[in-house]
Amino acid sequence: MRTYLGIDVGSVTTKLALLDESDELISYVYLLTQGRPIDAVQQGLREIKEQLPPDVDISGVATTGSARYLAGVIVGADLVKNEITTHAVAALHYYPDVQTIIEIGGQDSKLTVVRDGIAIDFAMNTVCAAGTGSFLDHQALRLDMSIQELSQQALTSQAPVRIAGRCTVFAESDMVHKQQMGYRVEDILYGLCQALVRNYLGNVGLGKELESPIIFQGGVAFNEAIVRAFREELDTDVIVPIHHEVMGAIGAALMVHEETATSDIISQFKGFEQSEVKYRASSFECKACPNRCEVAEISHDGQTLARWGGRCDMWERVPGTQLHPSEESK
Amino acid sequence: MRVSIPHMGHLYIPLKAMFQRLGIDYVIPPVNSQRTLSLGSRYSPEGLCIPFKMTLGNMIESAEMGANAVLMPGGYGICRLGYYTRVQEQILHNLGYDFEVIQIGVSDRKFFGAMDMLKRVSNNAPWHRILSAFRFALAKLSTVDQIEQMTQKVRPVELVQGTANQLYAKAVHAIDNTDDYDTLKRTKADYLRQLNEVVKNKQARPLVVGITGEFYVVLEPFSSFDIERELGKLGVEVRRATYISGWTKFSYFLNPFGINEKSRIHKAARPYLKRDIGGDGWESVGEKVLHAKEYDGLIHLAPFTCMPEIIAENIMPSTKEQIPVLTILCDEQIAKAGVLTRLEAFVDLLERKRRKQNNVLRVTA
Repeated sequence: MRTYLGIDVGSVTTKLALLDESDELISYVYLLTQGRPIDAVQQGLREIKEQLPPDVDISGVATTGSARYLAGVIVGADLVKNEITTHAVAALHYYPDVQTIIEIGGQDSKLTVVRDGIAIDFAMNTVCAAGTGSFLDHQALRLDMSIQELSQQALTSQAPVRIAGRCTVFAESDMVHKQQMGYRVEDILYGLCQALVRNYLGNVGLGKELESPIIFQGGVAFNEAIVRAFREELDTDVIVPIHHEVMGAIGAALMVHEETATSDIISQFKGFEQSEVKYRASSFECKACPNRCEVAEISHDGQTLARWGGRCDMWERVPGTQLHPSEESK
Repeated sequence: MRVSIPHMGHLYIPLKAMFQRLGIDYVIPPVNSQRTLSLGSRYSPEGLCIPFKMTLGNMIESAEMGANAVLMPGGYGICRLGYYTRVQEQILHNLGYDFEVIQIGVSDRKFFGAMDMLKRVSNNAPWHRILSAFRFALAKLSTVDQIEQMTQKVRPVELVQGTANQLYAKAVHAIDNTDDYDTLKRTKADYLRQLNEVVKNKQARPLVVGITGEFYVVLEPFSSFDIERELGKLGVEVRRATYISGWTKFSYFLNPFGINEKSRIHKAARPYLKRDIGGDGWESVGEKVLHAKEYDGLIHLAPFTCMPEIIAENIMPSTKEQIPVLTILCDEQIAKAGVLTRLEAFVDLLERKRRKQNNVLRVTA
């Protein structure tokens, strides 16, 4: 059976999704990245391998998310795509008539405007990460509850408290202040959810026409209180897809399927054995000019596989290309 | 007096030529680097824009090299930039540098103001020498701009990535080293030919993306994440309306006669924005309206905290002429990785839109 693997390595979580020839989701894995993207990808590969039926053949692999290049080198990706595109592709696949895609992940929030099945515009948080998943995580931790409990408690709120949501630090001060004043925890929590939604609409959504059907995906879509706040604020239904947390990985798999369908390219996939290989990631400061770029490299058995992070092309190296002449002088 | 200049793209080339011809003692600060930006940011008020911080960094770096004066644009009616010369001079004094920031007027008396300024920094050189130096500088400027325009065309279609950039770097160096019109002319012809002969992908039909926004960030690649090169890597042809030579030609020589290259842009913007709002905000809106049919997408570059561009950003979505716009804020606190992700996604969006319109895209639904 021909299958397509999408791997989405995000700031907080790593997702793998496997699709069959008719783009049906066969299996998926969702795990924490915990700051170790290489380990997370290898762990993900092991887990997905265990779930596989015997006759599976991987015909294409795509990586996405903030560690897409790193993950691409490890697995031998046929396609490396940014997470904005993959999310839009997945949403359009499940909801062809979608007009607005809201996506909130661990550290960023995006908005994609779709008309007639074509993404025509998008926006992404630029200078501030207020209102993303990490902040909610942090607040749950501070109140000593899980993120699920935070969501469930917030949903019971009857009289939400207004929280200043423009900046996460000030939102936190405001929450602490309201707690000390004696407001109920659930009302503060739901107030926080509303603040995050207002912040999203005022920042990322500024000046864009949010028409329904509206899809809400990404890790934060797990939070039912946020979903409710979106529904109330927009005064319309907001659809959360069933596999909203792995949409990036599904989108990547869809795209590699699409790419390979029109050509006879044989997959570069290095196989599931990659989950056992020891990779070494390191970095150094280039001293060739005053920019002092931090160049990161990934190697295996003393061989450099890839290198990136410089402002110029001096150290840039993608798999399969010649080493730069300056290599020796390092 | 030892004069220096802030960097803005390849502006140093004509200015250096002028200094040399007039026998002015000058210093060209090191090219913009992370050090320039760090120095500038350290001594700047946080809320000021990246052009202020970068140019202040240039001034500190040139002071370290022994300069005690710098030429910097300023004047009324533009935006906060009008005051920058005075604020920067104060900051440099506070840092202990005996340093003068000489203002090049960009509001009125542009040409004559520049002449007076040159008369002064050249220790009263005769007028004919000043004019001849100015003319040679303009010739160099327009040559670099032409080579740059050609580079922008070759970059997305070259077979070996990086060829055009290398040729461009060589050309800039060669132009910088020419002393006479003949060599300049030959250098120009030589590099235009070499760029023409770069092996290209004949099948490629690159997407066309326009670049608009605030003058400095559009022209200074370091401040805007080398965006043109990055787009070139993604196979996109870049077009922009702003070049220093064009600006100089109009504002120094033609505007006084009532000829304004911007009137077309302003007319296009007028249904949505009736007047100048300082900086280049009016032009940004106008360029979107004017080029909506011609470009596949538009990238709007704005310094963080730039009021005119923030106004423009918020007007753009409401124009009748629709074209995808990506606003990128330029600031020392913004990581390049995030900008590249947005650029990639933007180019994907344009590409998929085009493929779908041509029905090439397999419908995944």
